[in-house]
Amino acid sequence: MADSKKIETAREILRLRFSQLIVNEKYKAGEFKIPIHLAMGHEAIAVAVDSMMSGNDKLVLSHRNIHYNLARSGKLKPVLDEYFLKKEGLAGAELGSMNLANEEKGIVYSSSILGNNLPVATGLALAEKVKRSGGLVTVVTGDGAMEEGTFYESLVFMKSNSLAVSVIVENNEWSMHTQIGERRTEIDLPKFTAALGVSYEKLEGNDVFNYIDRLGEAKNSILAGKSPMVLEVKITTLGGWYVEADGRKDGRFIHPHAGPLPETSIDEWPELENSADDPVFVLRENLSASELESLAREVFRKVKEEIGEL
Amino acid sequence: MKYIQHINEVLGKKTAETEGLVLFGQNIAAGSHISGLTKGLQVGKEGLIINATNAESTLTGLGFGMMLGGVSSVFFMKQLDFLLLGIDQLVNTYNFIRRKEPEASYTIFPVVSDLGWHGLQSSFDNFGDVASIARIPGFTITNKIDAEEIIGTHLVRPGFRIIGVSQRLFGSDVLDLPKIYSNAEKTIFQYAKGDRATIVAFNFALPYGWTLYEKMRDKNIEASVFSVNSVTPVDWTEITADVKKTKNLIVIDDGKSENMSSDNFLLKAVGECELEKKIVLKRDMEGNGWLYPNPDLLEIDYESVIKKFL
Repeated sequence: MADSKKIETAREILRLRFSQLIVNEKYKAGEFKIPIHLAMGHEAIAVAVDSMMSGNDKLVLSHRNIHYNLARSGKLKPVLDEYFLKKEGLAGAELGSMNLANEEKGIVYSSSILGNNLPVATGLALAEKVKRSGGLVTVVTGDGAMEEGTFYESLVFMKSNSLAVSVIVENNEWSMHTQIGERRTEIDLPKFTAALGVSYEKLEGNDVFNYIDRLGEAKNSILAGKSPMVLEVKITTLGGWYVEADGRKDGRFIHPHAGPLPETSIDEWPELENSADDPVFVLRENLSASELESLAREVFRKVKEEIGEL
Repeated sequence: MKYIQHINEVLGKKTAETEGLVLFGQNIAAGSHISGLTKGLQVGKEGLIINATNAESTLTGLGFGMMLGGVSSVFFMKQLDFLLLGIDQLVNTYNFIRRKEPEASYTIFPVVSDLGWHGLQSSFDNFGDVASIARIPGFTITNKIDAEEIIGTHLVRPGFRIIGVSQRLFGSDVLDLPKIYSNAEKTIFQYAKGDRATIVAFNFALPYGWTLYEKMRDKNIEASVFSVNSVTPVDWTEITADVKKTKNLIVIDDGKSENMSSDNFLLKAVGECELEKKIVLKRDMEGNGWLYPNPDLLEIDYESVIKKFL
C-alpha cells in the first residue's frame, strides 16, 4: 500500500475514534434523548468495509452502526445532528441511532432488531441478481444475532439461490451484558458454514491494512462464485468499566452496550487499550509514533472544526 | 367457475404481463400449487419464480429487501398463520420502508385458514389482527369482481400490502355480482341498493350477506349490500350515507378477532345515524369450541333476521 494511502487509512481510523469520543462526551453530559451504541474498537472493520465498497454495492447494518455510518458519510456532523434529532441530520431526524441508514452512500437499511437485517440483505441480494447489477451486498451481524433463526434461514436461502452476500459477524463475545460462555454452547462457525457449503474467513488482529486486502479478496471471490461468505471478525468493544460488587471496587465488569462510557475520555492520543484489541494501537505497526501523533492532532482539530467547536 | 380458479386466472394475467417480477413461496411451482392458487403462473421478462425454503421469517423479510433493491415481488403463503413467524419483519422492516414512497411493490398473498377442520392452527384466521399490527393495508377477496379489481389495482402497485383469500371459499362457485360502486382504493364495494336496510359484510362474509339479501328480496324487502374488503378501518362515509337513508343496519363479520374493524364501523354508525334496527351477526366465541376442529361457519338464522322487517 502506498504511503499516502496508508496515511489516509490511518486518518480514517483516528477520525472514527475521535468522532466517537466526542459523541461519548456529549452522551456523558446527558445531551441525547435517544440510545446510542458506541463501537470503539470496531473501527478497523468499518474502515475496511468502506474502502471495499463501490458502485452498486450495498451495506445493511444492525443497531450498533455508528462506525459504519461515520466511515461512509465521511463526517461527524450529519450523524451528530441525527442523534440530536435535528432536521439537518443524516436521516432528517427520522431514524435516530439504531436504524440509521444513508442510502446515498449505499447503507440501505439498518435494524434495531437482532437478526432482522439478514432476511432484508438476502432480498437485496436477490434484487441484485434479478437486475444483474453486479453489486455486492454486505450485511453486518454479530455473535448474538447469529443465535437467531434468521441467521441459519438466510444463509440457506442465499446459498440455495446463488446470492452474492458478504456476511460480517462482528464477534465481540458479548450480547448486551452476557458473554458467550454464559448464554450458549460454542458455535463452530467454520464447521457450521461448511455444512451449508458457505465459505468462511476469520479476521483478527485489528490491522486495518490487512483487513482491506482480505475484504477485497473476499469480494472478488463472492462475486465470482455467486455464493455467500461469512467473515468472522474478532472484536473487543472498548470502554468497559468495573462497578463495585461484593464489597470490591472491581467486583463486576460492565461491557459497553448502549449508553455512555463513564470512564472513557478524550486524550490527544486516542488509544484506549495498549494492545491489539485497539485498532488505534495497531496503527503503530505501520506508522511511526511521530507520524501518528501529528496525524491525531490534525484529525482532532478537523473534526472539532467540522462540528463548529473550534 | 370455482372461486380459486378465478383468482388463479386473474393472478396469472397480471403476473405474466409484469416484467422483472419475482414470485416466491413454498410449493408455489410444485404439487398442488397451494391448492391451485399458483398453478401455471408465469412472470414477464427478467422475472423469477422461486420454490422457496421453509423459512417464513426470512421469506417475509426477503420481499422487503427486494423492495429496497427496486424489485417487485409476491410472496404466496399457504396459510395465514405461517405469517406469525414474520411479524418482526411486518412491523420493524415495514416501518423503515414506509417512510418513503417506494418504487417497487411487495405483496404477501396468504390463504386465510378459515376452514375449522384444521383445528388449532385455523383458530387463527384473524387477518385484521395481522394487518392492524403495523397499519398494513389488507384486502380480502370474496367474489369475481373484487378479485379483478383488487388484484388489478394492488398486486404489483408500488408499496406494500397483504391480499388474503379464503380457504373456506376455495371449492365454491365464484360469486358473480352486479357491482354498483367501488372506491378508488378498492376497500369498499357496493352490490345492491335498497331502501329498507343496509347490509354491511366484513372480512369474507359477503356470501352470507348476499344470501340474506336474496332472502329479504324474496319477501319484498329491498336492502343495500356493501362489502368492506379492507381488514382495517377505512373512511365509512359512503356506507353511513346509505344507513342514514335506510335507518336499519345489518352487520355481518365472520372474523374471529377481538379487534374488528366492524366494531369501529358500528361505533361510527351508531354515533352518526338514527337507527331503528341494528342487527350484528358475528361468531359465537364462547368457550373453547372455536379452537378445536369444527365447521367454522358463521351460523345465521336468516328467518329470524327477516322477521324483524315484516
